[in-house]
Amino acid sequence: MATMTNTERSRDGKRRRKKKVGAEGHKWKSQAQQQIYSSKLRQALARVRVGGAERRGKAVREAADRVLAVTAKGRSRWSRAILRSRLKLKFTKHRNKKRHSRSHSKKPRLSVYRLKGKTAPVLQRKVRFLGRLVPGCRKEPLPVILEEAIDYIPALEMQVRAMSTLVNLLAASSSSSTQ
Amino acid sequence: MEQAPGVLRGSVHDGTTLESIQFNEEIQGIMAPAPAPENASSFTALLELPPTQAVELLHSPDSVNAAARKPPNCHVSANQKPFLLNSFGNSGNLTFPSNAALIERAAKFSVFAGENSPPPGEARLVPAASGSNLVKNEPQETDSNPCSTHGCVSDPAVENKNQRTAKRKEREKKVKGSSKKSKGAADETSRDGEKLPYVHVRVRRGQATDSHSLAERARREKINARMKLLQELVPGCDKISGTAMVLDEIINHVQSLQRQVEILSMKLAAVNPRIDFSIDSLLATDGASLMDSNLPGLVTPFMWPEVPVNGNRQHYQQQWQFDAFHQSLWEREEVNHNFMTPENSLLSYDSSANSASLHSNQLKMEL
Repeated sequence: MATMTNTERSRDGKRRRKKKVGAEGHKWKSQAQQQIYSSKLRQALARVRVGGAERRGKAVREAADRVLAVTAKGRSRWSRAILRSRLKLKFTKHRNKKRHSRSHSKKPRLSVYRLKGKTAPVLQRKVRFLGRLVPGCRKEPLPVILEEAIDYIPALEMQVRAMSTLVNLLAASSSSSTQ
Repeated sequence: MEQAPGVLRGSVHDGTTLESIQFNEEIQGIMAPAPAPENASSFTALLELPPTQAVELLHSPDSVNAAARKPPNCHVSANQKPFLLNSFGNSGNLTFPSNAALIERAAKFSVFAGENSPPPGEARLVPAASGSNLVKNEPQETDSNPCSTHGCVSDPAVENKNQRTAKRKEREKKVKGSSKKSKGAADETSRDGEKLPYVHVRVRRGQATDSHSLAERARREKINARMKLLQELVPGCDKISGTAMVLDEIINHVQSLQRQVEILSMKLAAVNPRIDFSIDSLLATDGASLMDSNLPGLVTPFMWPEVPVNGNRQHYQQQWQFDAFHQSLWEREEVNHNFMTPENSLLSYDSSANSASLHSNQLKMEL
């Protein structure tokens, strides 16, 4: 009986790991992941062309996000959306100047939700807002958005950690080199 | 053959349960091909219990042990049951006469099982009647139900009910009512219920069991599980109750993280020109710091070949074309960045067009 429960639990544990619902971002917390990310980020940063001041800031940010998406190996919606957006931008940069304006016309349809009462649109609005924050989840239903957020938040935290370490290193090295 | 009733008679103090013991043997003979109690489903385990263990439960002082033994059975085997039962139910030509009396007695038995952990003394009065009734009904059921599928002779009663409710949630409802104290196992099975292809919802007593509310409940449970995970991720969300507040916190957290990334990227951009100039020294220092921590060996080799070709873009392009044949992630990332950034040379423009298709191909392969 005890062995039965053990095998059951191990099997379900495997299943859970495969499905990644309870991933809890454990893979984003590991030091190895952070090292991989920082090394790739450094390579990307080295290749960012020296543009204007404001351009470079945005380019650095986009490069950082892209490297984050690459590190995610495209297994989550937001990572695929980030990579896709870069592709689309590159392809349609010369054809469509105003490609992004379409995505801003996202308004909650209050007329429909009023029927349900006051509390429903509040939650809905928050969910939609969260969907807008997480890249690539604008139109997804709530459980998908929650799942993406579960993966996205640890990834962001890792990104912040890696970039702050990088900035500190760079600042330290630059200050030491200039001295 | 003589020993078994003798042993049981020794433990039995009541003369009225002699009948139940004889039925006991018959049922044991019938249920011999059936899976062992450990493997059987919760309800069938409960059904098997009355003949074999009800007697013990009634008359042995360690009824607590039996009760403690029972719930793990229920919940462990409940996982396996879905496939079996659903396949049986769907293979469909089971024409078991529905027996309302058996269901009532099963309900009574579940009451008995539920009250087992509290004073067994009281429970003895109730199950004495229901146990023997159940025992008497079982041979009738098994005789009249030719079980076409092998191995689960004890199932007819369950499949009976299955046919009536057309779902196994009814049974689980009784199981839930009967085994309230094993919350850990219940959580596990409810969690496992999420993962299996069939949606198995643990229905509590008194809740609706039609398909719509069940689907709704399954969906809500999924959402609640994910919200709980998010609450653990976001600091400070544990004390907050209510979905709206938790969502607010999550949104704030994501926004703050994204703002931090912005600020850090600005800082990096400000410090960036130094990278090209001092990349050798930087990599040297960073390599030391990296190797101090547990760096997997495959990261550093990727960095070092980068260094000599970094200054020369033309050389870089050629190496990219060589590298495109390899499948490692570093190469793919090379293609990405090569494709994204260079626009200052004709050569790079052509190669960017080529790399686009390659990039999408590699993306597809990665996915």
